[in-house]
Amino acid sequence: MKQLTKEIISTVKKVILAGEVNTYKVVDNDNDVYFVPIATDNTDYQAVQEWEAIDGNNIADAD
Amino acid sequence: MSSIKLKGSSSGDVTITVPAAAGTNTVTIPAATGNLPLSNLDHVTNRPNAKPLVLNGNMAVAQRSTSTTGITGGGHHTIDRMKVDLSDGGTWTQTQDADVPTGQGFANSWKLDCTTADTSVAAGTFHVARYLFEGQDLQLLKKGTSSAEKVTVSFWIKATVTGTYIAELYDVDNDRQISQAYTVSSANTWEKKVLSFVADTTGALGDDNGSSFSINLWLSAGSNFTSGTLNTTWAGQNLVNRVVGQVNSASSTDNNVYFTGLQMEVGEYDATTIPPFQHESYGDNLQRCKRYCQSTFSQGTAIGAATAAGIIITCAAGTGIGRVATGHQFPVSFRAVPTIVIHNQTGGTTGSGRNGDTGGLITMSAGAASTDAAHFENSENFGNDGAQLQFQFSATSEL
Repeated sequence: MKQLTKEIISTVKKVILAGEVNTYKVVDNDNDVYFVPIATDNTDYQAVQEWEAIDGNNIADAD
Repeated sequence: MSSIKLKGSSSGDVTITVPAAAGTNTVTIPAATGNLPLSNLDHVTNRPNAKPLVLNGNMAVAQRSTSTTGITGGGHHTIDRMKVDLSDGGTWTQTQDADVPTGQGFANSWKLDCTTADTSVAAGTFHVARYLFEGQDLQLLKKGTSSAEKVTVSFWIKATVTGTYIAELYDVDNDRQISQAYTVSSANTWEKKVLSFVADTTGALGDDNGSSFSINLWLSAGSNFTSGTLNTTWAGQNLVNRVVGQVNSASSTDNNVYFTGLQMEVGEYDATTIPPFQHESYGDNLQRCKRYCQSTFSQGTAIGAATAAGIIITCAAGTGIGRVATGHQFPVSFRAVPTIVIHNQTGGTTGSGRNGDTGGLITMSAGAASTDAAHFENSENFGNDGAQLQFQFSATSEL
């Protein structure tokens, strides 16, 4: 199972579950979909933060 | 050598012999009544840890897959808890293999097979097999204190490329490291390596669930990591001093590297004194690995495989609504709130479940709000009252 890194993240979108946003829907450059918790000790969330810190990358709002 | 002979009350005798030893040595017999255990004394080890510090060191559990091809990047690809960091170091296939050292009680090894060579190693190239620890699990090392413990790492390796390899301990919390060179002497032959590292009185490990410490077994490295002098004492990391002398394991597609029997012991040991590998039952091993990876797929079935085995089925309620939500409690608490990937029995596409009536794919959402449970729902309407939504999932919270 490949490691989610800022290099392979394509898009990130907020997900509303049970009325709250506590998860991101992350799609990588192979179109694989990950539901990443907004939790600082999750290493995939750490990768999303690194991706977001790159100019031009933005986390989309939930539908 | 001196001896004392104690005559038995009726017949026979017992001789107590003092071995040839320099200095004054004291052996205190405990104030207790009973018999000393004289059989198998060489297997009595006073470990401070009740269970192996390294999980799955016998490479028995491979929840994700027993074989993964085309590996060009980092991740946990096959064997649970065994990770590679890889960049520009060739293409590899990883396998849970049955090739093991004879007579050691192992049934599995972790095979890394080079399928596309990297004969011209670039400066930034790296390929390293890693085992990462949570800081809260290594407080017994007392790292960063005056009572810090020495550490010994032992493993079996079988490699095509002979020569110098580098093993490294890395303190993630404090960016400190220590390296040690070892030699693979014979090509394609199992060799046991026992490497003892000095204690580090600087830099405490966080007492938490974060990634604090790793064993790094290097397979190749570019000049960014090799152009200095090998650092063999604990120090703040200086990239060029970490992997000096490392051979290139990706020099040919004929190359393989196997590992098994990875263990880490508190204290200083050599090839003679290293305690035996602590074998666990498969079930105990699996339960411990589930702190980092779980799925609804059967053991032995690759995560994401096209199979109906392990599917979760939930039904829509209410005519014309077609919305489904369900929960799942994890059998083992995760290290941290996990990342979830949704699969379906057609394989391939992630993020979708399957309409049990039509076979069409249904976009889904998932989220774990805690280390112990997750929530799933479909993101698009489907069917009517009683229509089935079928899906599988994997969840990971690796270090």
